[in-house]
Amino acid sequence: MTDSTTELPVAAIEQRIGAFLAAKTKLTWEPEEDLFTSGAVSSLFAMELVVFVESTFQVAVEGPDLAMDNFRTVRAMSSLVTRLRSGGDGA
Amino acid sequence: MLEALTALVTETVADAAGEWDVAGEIPAGVLRGLGAKGVLCAEAAPEFGGLGLSGTDNGALTAHTGTLCSSLRSVMTSQGMAAWTIQRFGDPAQRARHIGRLTGGDLAAVAFSEPGAGSDLAAMTTEIRREGGGIVVDGTKTWITVAGYADLIVVFGRHGSGGAVALVPASAPGVRVTRVPEPLGCRAAGHATVVLDHVRLPEENLLAVAGQPLAMLTTIALTYGRLSVAWGCVGILRACLTAVARHAAQREQFGKPLLRHQLVARHLAELYAAERTATFACERASRSWDSGSPEQVPASVLAKHVAAGNAARGAASAVQVLASAGAAGGHVVERAYRDAKLMEVIEGSNEICQLMLAEHAASSAR
Repeated sequence: MTDSTTELPVAAIEQRIGAFLAAKTKLTWEPEEDLFTSGAVSSLFAMELVVFVESTFQVAVEGPDLAMDNFRTVRAMSSLVTRLRSGGDGA
Repeated sequence: MLEALTALVTETVADAAGEWDVAGEIPAGVLRGLGAKGVLCAEAAPEFGGLGLSGTDNGALTAHTGTLCSSLRSVMTSQGMAAWTIQRFGDPAQRARHIGRLTGGDLAAVAFSEPGAGSDLAAMTTEIRREGGGIVVDGTKTWITVAGYADLIVVFGRHGSGGAVALVPASAPGVRVTRVPEPLGCRAAGHATVVLDHVRLPEENLLAVAGQPLAMLTTIALTYGRLSVAWGCVGILRACLTAVARHAAQREQFGKPLLRHQLVARHLAELYAAERTATFACERASRSWDSGSPEQVPASVLAKHVAAGNAARGAASAVQVLASAGAAGGHVVERAYRDAKLMEVIEGSNEICQLMLAEHAASSAR
């Protein structure tokens, strides 16, 4: 599932995640800002985030990788994506 | 493949659905036979012995099954949700081992609700804890679909400050399963209370996702269940539509077919509109499921809400049109009436769906 031929820089990943969040929440998110303590994110939206990350970056987020901490901030999501795209399983 | 599968379900159910409903039981051999052919969780991947159907095709199969027998369709929803839960939350070894069992003839239930936790699933008190190199499960689960037949019960519970999912063999010491006597609907779907009294299991039976927030875990698992129930409601609507259209064309009163009486024709028109709109909502949700669009999440809630409400109203109007011709126990519209009402309650009641849709609409408009 990992397309290792395409290297995606962190900035590009974070830009796409930021755009998705902005479209959905109508708010701008700093890379380290906690989405979940803000109250802007419901459990439905948390699952939307998982599906968004999977389909946009062509990765499978399963088992222990589904940890909320991996989705807590824009930076956490980009780290997850970078790790999964490089084939790492350091969960 | 879809055509062969719907034919297999038609042939398997034949004219037995009414009998199964009245008896409150589908013969175990029927369920295991369909299970071993992969029909009950048809989206499971071929690498696990599954058929690898798309969500859209599995939806069509689910609706077809729901047209014939909502109890069997409930078994399908449960088995599919169990396979999806293990796929999503398990590690590779757990997926291979346990999804393989579900495509091999074993039957699975998924246990969320408890005496004190129905709509408020976050209030569940079942505990899954690590102890002595294994896990221990303690709690009581109520109204668990398929539990009366199940080999494997997929149990959601508390785990430290978060949640976890344990795979509990129904034969494990400390598991007690008691059938719900005469459930309102889906009477042959094996609804049961499951008491888990200090059930000790190997660590391997704890799905890898352990420790994540319970609301996140239940939302992911229920998204499959909601879409499956929604397709089942489409099936109920199709069965009612066929019954009403035939009856209204054949039965004469006051010297003309019922269909020529405008008040009856209106029932048929509304039933047709209900079936179409439920189908469109389900197709839309399944397409977003298949394409990996985040829209699948709210779209599944929307489909479930629209389809369950339409099925409950549609089945009531079908009983109204068929009247005494459809009111005997086990008749297709009599079953539909009871089954559809239950669909407004399970997998997120009407009111819970409304709360989620309201929240979604509010956040989209901000």
